[in-house]
Amino acid sequence: METKGAIMNKQSAEALTPFSPSLHANVQAIRNRFGGSCDLVIRLFSSDAAPERELAIIYVDGIVDSETINESIMEPLMSLKLPQYRYQKGGKLLDALRSCVVSIGSVQEINTMDEALLYMTDGLCIILADGCAAALTADVNGGSQRAVSIAQTQTVIRGPQYGFVENIRTNISLIRRIIRSPDLHVQMHKIGKQTHSNVAVLYLHGIVNEGILKEVYRRLAAIDIDGVLESGYIEEFIQDETFTLFPTLLNTERPDSVAAALLEGRIAVLVDGTPIALMAPTTFFSFFQSPEDYYQRYDIASFVRIIRYVAYIVSMLLPALYIAVTTYHQEMLPTTLLISLAAQREGIPFPGLVEALLMEMTFEVLREAGLRMPRAIGPAISIVGALVLGQSAVQAGIVSAGMVIVVSFTAISNFVMPEFNMAATSRIIRFGFMLMAGMLGFFGIFVSVLFMLIHLTSLRSFGVPYMSPLAPGPTRQGLFRDVFIRLPWWAIVLRPLDMNLRNPKRRPNGKKPPAQRHTDKP
Amino acid sequence: MNYWKTTVLLLLLACLLGGCWNRVELNEIGIVSATGVDWKDGKWQLSYQVVIPQAISSQSPSAGPSAAVNVFSTTGDNFRIATSKASQETSRQLYFAHNQIIIIGQEAARKGLGQLFDVYLRNADSRETVSVYLSKGSARRMLEQLIPLEKIPGNAIQGMITNEEMNSSVFRQMTMHKVVLDLLGTSQAVGIPSLVVGGTGESMDRSSKLSRTNTPSKVRLHDLGLIQKDKLVGWITKEESFGVMWLADHIKRTTVAFGCKQEDKEPEESSMRIISAKTKLRPEKSGGKWIMHVHAEAEGTLLEYNCGGDMTEPPEVEKVERIVESELKAVMEKGWQAVRRHRADIVGFGSVIHKKYPKAWKEMKDEWSEHFSRMEVKITANVKINSTGMSGNGFKKTQEKSRS
Repeated sequence: METKGAIMNKQSAEALTPFSPSLHANVQAIRNRFGGSCDLVIRLFSSDAAPERELAIIYVDGIVDSETINESIMEPLMSLKLPQYRYQKGGKLLDALRSCVVSIGSVQEINTMDEALLYMTDGLCIILADGCAAALTADVNGGSQRAVSIAQTQTVIRGPQYGFVENIRTNISLIRRIIRSPDLHVQMHKIGKQTHSNVAVLYLHGIVNEGILKEVYRRLAAIDIDGVLESGYIEEFIQDETFTLFPTLLNTERPDSVAAALLEGRIAVLVDGTPIALMAPTTFFSFFQSPEDYYQRYDIASFVRIIRYVAYIVSMLLPALYIAVTTYHQEMLPTTLLISLAAQREGIPFPGLVEALLMEMTFEVLREAGLRMPRAIGPAISIVGALVLGQSAVQAGIVSAGMVIVVSFTAISNFVMPEFNMAATSRIIRFGFMLMAGMLGFFGIFVSVLFMLIHLTSLRSFGVPYMSPLAPGPTRQGLFRDVFIRLPWWAIVLRPLDMNLRNPKRRPNGKKPPAQRHTDKP
Repeated sequence: MNYWKTTVLLLLLACLLGGCWNRVELNEIGIVSATGVDWKDGKWQLSYQVVIPQAISSQSPSAGPSAAVNVFSTTGDNFRIATSKASQETSRQLYFAHNQIIIIGQEAARKGLGQLFDVYLRNADSRETVSVYLSKGSARRMLEQLIPLEKIPGNAIQGMITNEEMNSSVFRQMTMHKVVLDLLGTSQAVGIPSLVVGGTGESMDRSSKLSRTNTPSKVRLHDLGLIQKDKLVGWITKEESFGVMWLADHIKRTTVAFGCKQEDKEPEESSMRIISAKTKLRPEKSGGKWIMHVHAEAEGTLLEYNCGGDMTEPPEVEKVERIVESELKAVMEKGWQAVRRHRADIVGFGSVIHKKYPKAWKEMKDEWSEHFSRMEVKITANVKINSTGMSGNGFKKTQEKSRS
């Protein structure tokens, strides 16, 4: 882990309490600061290394690995006889302990009480010595945490299956294991006055646009909040535009997605306590790119991606189009279809718009219920849902069969989206389109779509136009090779973002390495 | 925030201003599948064939068989006033966008159709893709006739003409658009197919009558009505209409029957399927007379052949080709004589002359029908048989051979 220098600098502006030379005074001060909490462990002892001076180990129980403390700190300190060490009274004792006794990788010396408190809550162990106005910290972070397991929200058929966990250190290590390069830089920040949550900024040095990186730092530094429990907190602080339905930051649960984003020159933000990482800058089209697009063969991937665009438009517009056609533009339907729809509508008490709103609301309620209810009740809900939504409503003559088909297909289309937040956008926007279609027909839909497009082109994500490279137009050729379709990997020369990267090229050229047809012949 | 407030306000205002004014639910419209036009007692009588969707839907089987359409009429001095009177006797707004066919009664056609065409040209909801038919009797009578296989009679008649145009080309579908285009064109004449109720004439106005295996009466395509300016001027028969289709290059696919010898008009025992046909017209002025050179090219397959001759021999096939050519010439001649008799240039000779000799046309356009009837037409034909089918000699000849 990187040092916490940055955050310390922020605090050093305020008056910091230095350590007292008296061990007991220091211990008492720490104990008071924690209000005598029972999970604070203070162990006073004397070591053979320095028998005449008392030592203390302080840590917070449960967030440290007790075994490491016992084996690497307590045992060497208590059992080692080190008469050959001649130390002078004063601060030198800590130096001797650091260099010869404590067998922990990350050990450092600190001088103030505030630092000590911060490190302790972060899972480090503090070693204090009598007569020293300083302390050693040893990184013994540990405690119980969820094991790395299969990603739940973004599943793929081909590709790595594991997802992030709640521990930020594990998460960073997962990315490190993919990108084994010193160019992968990780900058740690602490955000939250109470939670002191670790927020890590990851980027690939030499590729990333430094202006955007600085902007990320600036926005992170400006966050003043008491606690950060999830990356959603950070997202709402650092996104460009609040009053928009469209997400301007990507999030993912998958380490390979983050690694891919870093390789594309994006910046990743990891937050402690959540498996969801943020990625910026983001364009509209990146929400249509599933990680699997890059693992499957390019033709399959392109096909599926086109399906996704179509499904997205369907999930946004289909009910609106249905309303508009059946209440304003009946002449557009083929005669047979019109008569069939008219037959279904016989005896339906509501106008098309009300019917559609009713069904959509029912579906949204069912969907939310399915998410929130205890798992054991799941099947019950699906049975009720299928019956209520499907057969009974039609048989009772409350909604028409055509509407049920439209609403169901709309709902299914919505699940095609690889990114949940973009899918949710279409769910909300759909209602607007439906109202406009109910009031003004195709004209209403057209006006709303126009409004939406104008809005989309006005959005920025960390200064990068949201609709790039489509609007305001690509600055380089070859940027569309991974937007609507995905070309084979060897043809994707440029990193996809049109954002002045330090190094915009992935490969030297768009040529396939030659293959020899008959490998067994000389 | 001011921006947002303004936007929301504008949107709300927009809803109040224009929202919903022309909203019509599907169960508030009466879908008209066919319209009939009659001239009765000095007024226009419009008849509507309105679809009853419940009777068609497979979803809700109603008790007992019921007719899928309902026919009623309104009268008025003009078309739209008659249509507007429909609201006095029906619960639903009549919806004409899906009207498939319009049937014009003989009386109405003789009275003149200018008013009807004006309605179609002026209004967006009257589609010009609707097919136009004439009817020897009352148009309303045609609408009341149920037709087997199709639930909606309007669709059935529409299907009939498409089928006819694609497979035998004796008539062709005349949409309102084509009719108006021809009447506004050079020769200002058009041929419209007509419908008659064939058989016993018993009215098939009840769906229970369709439960029998045979229908005592049915709607048929019959003669071709000739319209000049905007009035019906006469009728020509199916055979003549076939000739007119050849002359006017409207043949898509058809079957031609022919006898064993060129001169022989007696039993036409053989037939040939024409799969592609093309007719070229070339006008020529000689003296004070116009000559029209008509050249028809046709290709096709031999379907049926009951004369002698070995069809595996090319010279024999060529002989058959010549016979078909003379048959085509006769057909076209018949068509030509028919239109000449009525002085109605529905074959488009006028526009060909107009294109090639614009100056000459200008001089004679006012007396065109006179010139037309005095024209000389020279017909040539070229037929090619692509295939003689799977058997070479034919049944009879093979039988003879096997005996010897």
